[in-house]
Amino acid sequence: MSSSELASTTAAAPAAAAAVKHPRSRLKFKDTWWRHAVGVVAMCAALFPVVYIVSSSFNSNSSLQSAQVIPSHVTLHNFGSLLHNNVKGNTGAKQDAPYPHWFLNSMLISLLTALATTVLGALAAYAFSRFRFKGRRGGMMGLLLIQMFPQFVAVAAIYLIVLNVGEVFPQIGLDKLAAVVIVYLGGAMGVQAWLIKGFFDTIPTELDESARVDGATAAQIFWGVVMPLAAPVLAVVALISFVFTLNEFVIASTILQTTSHKTLPVGMQLFISNSYDKVWGPFAAGALLAALPVAALFMFLQRWIVSGLTAGSVKG
Amino acid sequence: MADVAFNDVDKIYDNGVQAVFGLTLDIHDAEFLVLVGPSGCGKTTALRMVAGLEEISGGTVSIGGRVVNDVSPKERDIAMVFQNYALYPHLSVGENIAFGLRLRKEPKEMINERVAWAAKLLDLAPYLNRKPKELSGGQRQRVAMGRAIVRKPQVFLMDEPLSNLDAKLRVQMRADIAHLQRELQTTTVYVTHDQVEAMTMGDRVAVMANGVLQQVDAPQRLYDRPANLFVAGFIGTPPMNLLEATATVNGEVSVNLGGNVLPIAPEAIQQYPRLREYGGRPVIVGLRAGDLHPAQGRDDLPQIHATVEIVESLGGESMAYFRVDARYIKSEAAEEEAVLASEGTPETVVGSRPNLVASFPPHVHLRLRDKVPIAVDTKNLHFFDEASGAPLR
Ligand SMILES: Nc1ncnc2c1ncn2[C@@H]1O[C@H](COP(=O)(O)OP(=O)(O)OP(=O)(O)O)[C@@H](O)[C@H]1O
Ligand SMILES: [Mg+2]
Repeated sequence: MSSSELASTTAAAPAAAAAVKHPRSRLKFKDTWWRHAVGVVAMCAALFPVVYIVSSSFNSNSSLQSAQVIPSHVTLHNFGSLLHNNVKGNTGAKQDAPYPHWFLNSMLISLLTALATTVLGALAAYAFSRFRFKGRRGGMMGLLLIQMFPQFVAVAAIYLIVLNVGEVFPQIGLDKLAAVVIVYLGGAMGVQAWLIKGFFDTIPTELDESARVDGATAAQIFWGVVMPLAAPVLAVVALISFVFTLNEFVIASTILQTTSHKTLPVGMQLFISNSYDKVWGPFAAGALLAALPVAALFMFLQRWIVSGLTAGSVKG
Repeated sequence: MADVAFNDVDKIYDNGVQAVFGLTLDIHDAEFLVLVGPSGCGKTTALRMVAGLEEISGGTVSIGGRVVNDVSPKERDIAMVFQNYALYPHLSVGENIAFGLRLRKEPKEMINERVAWAAKLLDLAPYLNRKPKELSGGQRQRVAMGRAIVRKPQVFLMDEPLSNLDAKLRVQMRADIAHLQRELQTTTVYVTHDQVEAMTMGDRVAVMANGVLQQVDAPQRLYDRPANLFVAGFIGTPPMNLLEATATVNGEVSVNLGGNVLPIAPEAIQQYPRLREYGGRPVIVGLRAGDLHPAQGRDDLPQIHATVEIVESLGGESMAYFRVDARYIKSEAAEEEAVLASEGTPETVVGSRPNLVASFPPHVHLRLRDKVPIAVDTKNLHFFDEASGAPLR
């Protein structure tokens, strides 16, 4: 490009920009209004169940048809009857619904599963990230492929396994919380291990090597160096597996049979399983309470879900 | 305290790349040895074999007389400083320094005492409670040093510990590290690709190229008596001019350098007696920039004529770049790639670039493109065989 050409283009540029500017800013709303519309619709769709659940949990009327969005009588009656195992159907018959038991069962199973999943996933991820061994690639692909099969297609097999194992080890047999945790952990290694491995790969190996020269064993490096640095991804994995376990229905309903051994989703389903006698009020109240620990866990883990924790480890 | 010995050490990586060939090198107790060479020549590999972070494919490495081929890093009693410092970001400066001692379950008072000692030595005392990310590059580098010295290991291993610092800080840390090592008297192997660092810091310097050790010597001897063409072109700032010439021997010895006949001083012949055997044959002549002078007032010295290409004034001196009509060897510093590509001995090339650099006093008036006479102090010239790169000693 000659210098005179260059001069003419630079001179023309501001004029052209000015000419374009006006129509573009007018176009802006015409072009983008639909984004706002989509946003509003999506928000309504997302909030509708929440509003509905909140409103019906404080509503004294336990049928859905007669419920209003703003309850005429705000009451804590639904919560009370849940906590005191005093849920009555529309006919007035008392239902066997030990909600506090279900709540505790769910918390126990979900916390244990989340914790164990995170640790197991991290252990596997550490091996895949740091060690070079035969079958490393194959192992990683295998994990992912196995994860592709939904766990519940194996539910008949899982039932049989738990049944038979229970004959030998009654502690992890049918109707035992431990059995559910163990079955969940069987599916823990897939995506989580990949996720954590991806994060481990970004932690410089010099940190491992430096610790090794300093005299650390592989276990000391794992717990003392790698795990603290991976806190963000560990928090995410723990949260995901906690929420997943809390919501899981098929396996829990297959293994847990006694009413007081059930988890929240399995137990609460009883409230709405009777075609003529659905108790929506207590159901909504129960769902609301069940959301609290998730929110609490999120708040608790949030401070670890921060980026830039490795800043300052390497380079100047 | 201990010595470190490489005995015919080979390293072949899993992908078949051989990074180190038959390395034999004795590093004395309390010595500061610098391992220097161009990028990719196997310095880091050699160092990591001492650390135990890399398996040894052949030969033995011993520390303090004990063969450590199969000894874990932990049991070698060494400390390593990494190029990027490798500080633990979740630990404070104090915890970083104490890390190795804590792992060894040393008593608490002893740990505190040692950390305080290291912090004082390295001026880190005010920062002990900070996290690494709250430190400057130089401070991080000192923390990395602190982590190494606090354990009082037998050997320090350092892999380009200054390469992430800016030039000024690097010069200062260079002096600080050398001083610290003299004070602690700990055997040190220091890797760098910067020959200035090597020359200023090392008791001895080991020059490597393409995985092969070229020469181990005190810095001054490396400069004065390079063992081959590679070392000659690598050591020194600016690098030695290496030009092809033809020798003539008839009683007196002279070389024909691009049409300029240079009688060689007897001192140089004494250093390189085999030059006499090269009558009528090509040799590589090595000329240091400092042995070239402006011709005015140096009638005592023989002259060559060269075309002025570039003049860079550095204030206290001027670097003048000339072109002589002779084949030359590209300098290592300028053309790292070229030497990497050519296996073994560097080859001469014909080019249009300046091939002779001289350091002249300031205010010398040189007009670009002029052909000017240059006085050559032939006492300190070096001579090498063209094919093998061996010195004609
Ligand atoms: N893990 C590895 N696997 C395979 N080859 C490697 C590995 N590490 C290094 N190499 C090869 O070995 C040779 C020497 O590498 P090394 O890291 O020792 O060089 P260096 O002298 O330290 O270079 P630099 O100054 O760039 O750090 C190079 O050719 C490099 O490609
Ligand atoms: Mg290196």
